[in-house]
Amino acid sequence: MRRWSYILNEAAIGLRRNLSMTIAVILSVTVSLSLLGASILLRQQVDAATDDWTGKIEVSIYLCDGLSCPPITDSQQQALRDNLEANPLVDQVFFESKQEAYAAFQRQFANEPVFLDNVEEQTLPASFRVKLTDPERFDAIKTQYEKSPGVESIVDQKELLDEFLAFSGVIRWSAGIIAAIAMVAAAVLVGNTVRMAAFARRDQTQIMKLVGASSWYVRLPFVLEGVLAGLLGAAIAWGMLVFGVDWMFTNLQGSLTFVPFLTTTQIMGVWPWLAVPAVAMTAGASVVALWGFLDV
Amino acid sequence: MISFDGVTKTYKAGSNDQVVALRDVTVQIDRGEFVFVVGPSGSGKSTFMKLLTREVRPDAGTIHVAGKNLGELRRWKLPALRRDIGYVFQDFKLLPNKTVSENIAFALEVIGMPGGVIAKRVPEVLDLVALSDKADAMPHELSGGQQQRVSVARAFVNQPPILLADEPTGNLDPQTSIGIMKLLDRINRTNTTVVMATHDQHIVDSMRKRVVELSEGQLVRDQARGVYGYAS
Repeated sequence: MRRWSYILNEAAIGLRRNLSMTIAVILSVTVSLSLLGASILLRQQVDAATDDWTGKIEVSIYLCDGLSCPPITDSQQQALRDNLEANPLVDQVFFESKQEAYAAFQRQFANEPVFLDNVEEQTLPASFRVKLTDPERFDAIKTQYEKSPGVESIVDQKELLDEFLAFSGVIRWSAGIIAAIAMVAAAVLVGNTVRMAAFARRDQTQIMKLVGASSWYVRLPFVLEGVLAGLLGAAIAWGMLVFGVDWMFTNLQGSLTFVPFLTTTQIMGVWPWLAVPAVAMTAGASVVALWGFLDV
Repeated sequence: MISFDGVTKTYKAGSNDQVVALRDVTVQIDRGEFVFVVGPSGSGKSTFMKLLTREVRPDAGTIHVAGKNLGELRRWKLPALRRDIGYVFQDFKLLPNKTVSENIAFALEVIGMPGGVIAKRVPEVLDLVALSDKADAMPHELSGGQQQRVSVARAFVNQPPILLADEPTGNLDPQTSIGIMKLLDRINRTNTTVVMATHDQHIVDSMRKRVVELSEGQLVRDQARGVYGYAS
């Protein structure tokens, strides 16, 4: 008990005495961990959205309306529907009329008047929305119906999703790489600060060594000093992410109703992903910085 | 208690030069002895002391301290060695932000001594160095002699079998030095081995203890009940 109170007390003294460096350490840890947390949350968000969307993925078979090919006749449309419903690859078929497509478009882009102004009811084609028994079998559907009379084009939403995933992957990796670089900078700063703290108290550590304190007893206050600063930085990063991301998602939810955003509790769950790297990084940097310096 | 057997220590000075601090020194110190290590600055006294605590390691020869062969001692066992040795510095090295009793208690706290033992030993050792009334004073409120007595108290509070003192009177006036010497003599009579490096002729002459003289790293005299200046 007495040991720990000594070690904690010494660490606190070191942090106070070296306030400007402590602030620099905390801020650099905050920056790097905010990026790391953002990268992790983006991944969780994308995973959550992907899971949600995978179940809803459809193939859209757009029907000719006379703009690029002769308009589909009623009998062609009925034949296509019958054929689709009989196809074992097809799970469900819905018909979306031009009016329904326009209404859906208006709902989806309710906050984007520029889009709405430029799109008229006649612009959007009618389509069959086809749900596949196996979402991977898109190619089979495409070759089967591409040349059918009255079919303008076939679009797989999964391809759109794949593009989105690739895009979010780039953002995620960029954030991750910048986070890693910022972590290295933070680690160097932690190491320097801890070394300075140890140097400032070299009289004390010299006495400790000569009266027979163990290496770890001499080192631990300085290591703990780095770790405490790191944890504080992680806590600030966590608070920023929880408030910032939650606020952003709450706002986005209004316009992007089809996206299942992470809940506040899920966002708060990122804490261990910040705390563990913070402790590992600062403890590692401190131990390396003191290597040989405080050997008894 | 302490033995040097053919100990040589050289330091690097620049890229090519080497300075010989100790050359083939062999000496034996028994339990309860009081030994002066004398010689001018640069004669190897400090190296001699630092070898005893294994702050530095010899290039050749073997050193035994308190039954331990320092050459074979694993690093994690160094704290155990140093708990057998009290160390008094020329410049006292008291921690300025701690009171007298906190400075002494510090030496016990950092080796994990229980609070009850600390509460008992600190007043005892303060009584020994006659500073009971200064227990709560800060170091800067004390005279040099008083500070050195605190330093001796800190070195002795763990009752080590060996007490090393490196020029303990170097920063003190002659009158005050006598007080410190009386204190070290008293500690020596508790069967504690005392090794004191000094170049204070008056003190060595007046104490008439064993004198080990170093000159340019070599042991040039080892005399029981010796004086400073006269090589036999």
